[in-house]
Amino acid sequence: MSVIEVKNISKTFKVKLKEKGLKGSLKSIVKPKYKKVQAVKNISFNIEKGEMVAFIGPNGAGKSTTIKMITSILYPDKGKISVLGLNPEKDRKKLAYEIGTVFGQKEQLWTHLTPYDNFKFFGAIYDIPEYQIEKKINELKELFELDEFINTPVRNLSLGQRIRCEIVASLIHEPKILFLDEPTIGLDPVVKENIRTLIKRMNKEYKTTVFLTSHDVSDIEKLCKRVIIINNGQLVLDDTMENLKYHYLNKKIVEAKMKEPVNLDGKDGLTILKDRGYNIKIEVDTTKKSVADAIKLLNPDNIIDINISNIPLENIISSIYKDGDTK
Amino acid sequence: MKKYWFIYKSEVMSDLQYIFNLLVGFISYLILIYIFLNLWNYMYDDPTQVINGYTKNQMIWYVIITEILWMTVGGRKLCRKICDDVKGGNIAYNINKPYSYIGYALSSHLGGCTVKAIMFTILGMITGIIFIGEFPKLTILSCIMVLITALLATIINTLLIIFVGLISFFIEDANPFYWLYSKFILVLGTIFPIEYFPSIMQPILIYSPIYVVSYGPAKLFVDFSWEKCLFIIIAQIAYIIIAYLLCRLLYKKGVKRLNVNGG
Repeated sequence: MSVIEVKNISKTFKVKLKEKGLKGSLKSIVKPKYKKVQAVKNISFNIEKGEMVAFIGPNGAGKSTTIKMITSILYPDKGKISVLGLNPEKDRKKLAYEIGTVFGQKEQLWTHLTPYDNFKFFGAIYDIPEYQIEKKINELKELFELDEFINTPVRNLSLGQRIRCEIVASLIHEPKILFLDEPTIGLDPVVKENIRTLIKRMNKEYKTTVFLTSHDVSDIEKLCKRVIIINNGQLVLDDTMENLKYHYLNKKIVEAKMKEPVNLDGKDGLTILKDRGYNIKIEVDTTKKSVADAIKLLNPDNIIDINISNIPLENIISSIYKDGDTK
Repeated sequence: MKKYWFIYKSEVMSDLQYIFNLLVGFISYLILIYIFLNLWNYMYDDPTQVINGYTKNQMIWYVIITEILWMTVGGRKLCRKICDDVKGGNIAYNINKPYSYIGYALSSHLGGCTVKAIMFTILGMITGIIFIGEFPKLTILSCIMVLITALLATIINTLLIIFVGLISFFIEDANPFYWLYSKFILVLGTIFPIEYFPSIMQPILIYSPIYVVSYGPAKLFVDFSWEKCLFIIIAQIAYIIIAYLLCRLLYKKGVKRLNVNGG
């Protein structure tokens, strides 16, 4: 069952133009000029219940605009959106009770209050009965391990602790869909991993649908089974993570330590990434040359040590972004 | 209503952390009162003299009360916050919450006003007793009515400032409009009672926000009458309804024009 249905939505912004200098400023008062920027162009996708989907794209791709349209903050110019059967444009208030949002770069907690007081506050604004708020706080306190700092003012918490509290605050009203916008931004690797584990646990426990935006490829790789890529306002890929890796991982990285230097210049299907004589790093395009053939070219008797790895997901995504730019 | 009560309560709790920040406000309040005390001392030959229906003591109490009301609201911060919310896109994070933005801004600001109102009322009363020596003749019931009109005045003032702030949906910066509004209230409503203005201006001022925002509660404090009290409360309720509806209309129109980029 689809919980989010997006059909051919488009959004155009009117941006004021100003010529340079004082003359330009005065001119823009008398005769303002505007240009139209199409932030989102005819996008369609569906999200199923309980899915964890990564919605990614480079800066200015139209991600935030799309999320804001789904969460009823902005209205599309064209197309139709349905979230849990509701029209975000018309049922904004009803929808607010069904969704949760966490913006890594924006605090929604009251910094001078403790997380506990904040959770009570969020419970109240979502009209949850008092006894139920207490129950929910206790439950989430356990799940997100907040015991140690639940009564410390938010301003005194570390970023990792704060993000955990932000997520809990957005879960108090048991939303069916959680929108996570860069939830791990600015966190150290250990805390990032911790947050990812907690998000996974939450998805498993409550079957919450997660719509994730992140520039951190590890977030996407470790949390999501499906990825939607948007660039220049257009949808450039909507596929499972498995398929993404399978179709795009047609390149392997071979790093070898050699007894004697080897010359691979001009060999079809091979790109030399690093050549330091005895140490060589090459990229093998497996559609043109097999890894075995590449190793033969290196001469197995000449190899002291070898490492064959996949291209990092980050590079795959970057190349998809670049493909989108050139189209 | 429960959610707005919680927003109000959370703001009070949050503001209690900054109670010492009020000290600067106290100093400017005392300087203002001192200036007006000297002005009225200069204008009145003796304490029994009556100018435009006010004795010297009544004039000093009038300014003490209107200044308490003015300092309590501290509208510049509210207007700037709303402008920043609209222009910076922060308003987006309030739109998808299950409350009305106007209700949120109102209850949150009233929460911020509560601590200030208590502190400035205590300071104002002490200042008045020290400088004037006597308290206006008020019964407990009339005191309660003055407090009710002061509360309604604060609500109207807050709604009008929210309205001014929401103008930033349509123009680059609404702060100059706030400047105009604040000078209008300060010059025409805080320093002098309506009776001090030329008779041609008085009917206009009676129907202006000045009457319900500052003049009303202060007039009742210095010269209480049930007839006037009833008239002021009716005017205040009408103003609240009109100001709220105008805010809602402006917000509704503004949100449709909202351009929130980046993320």
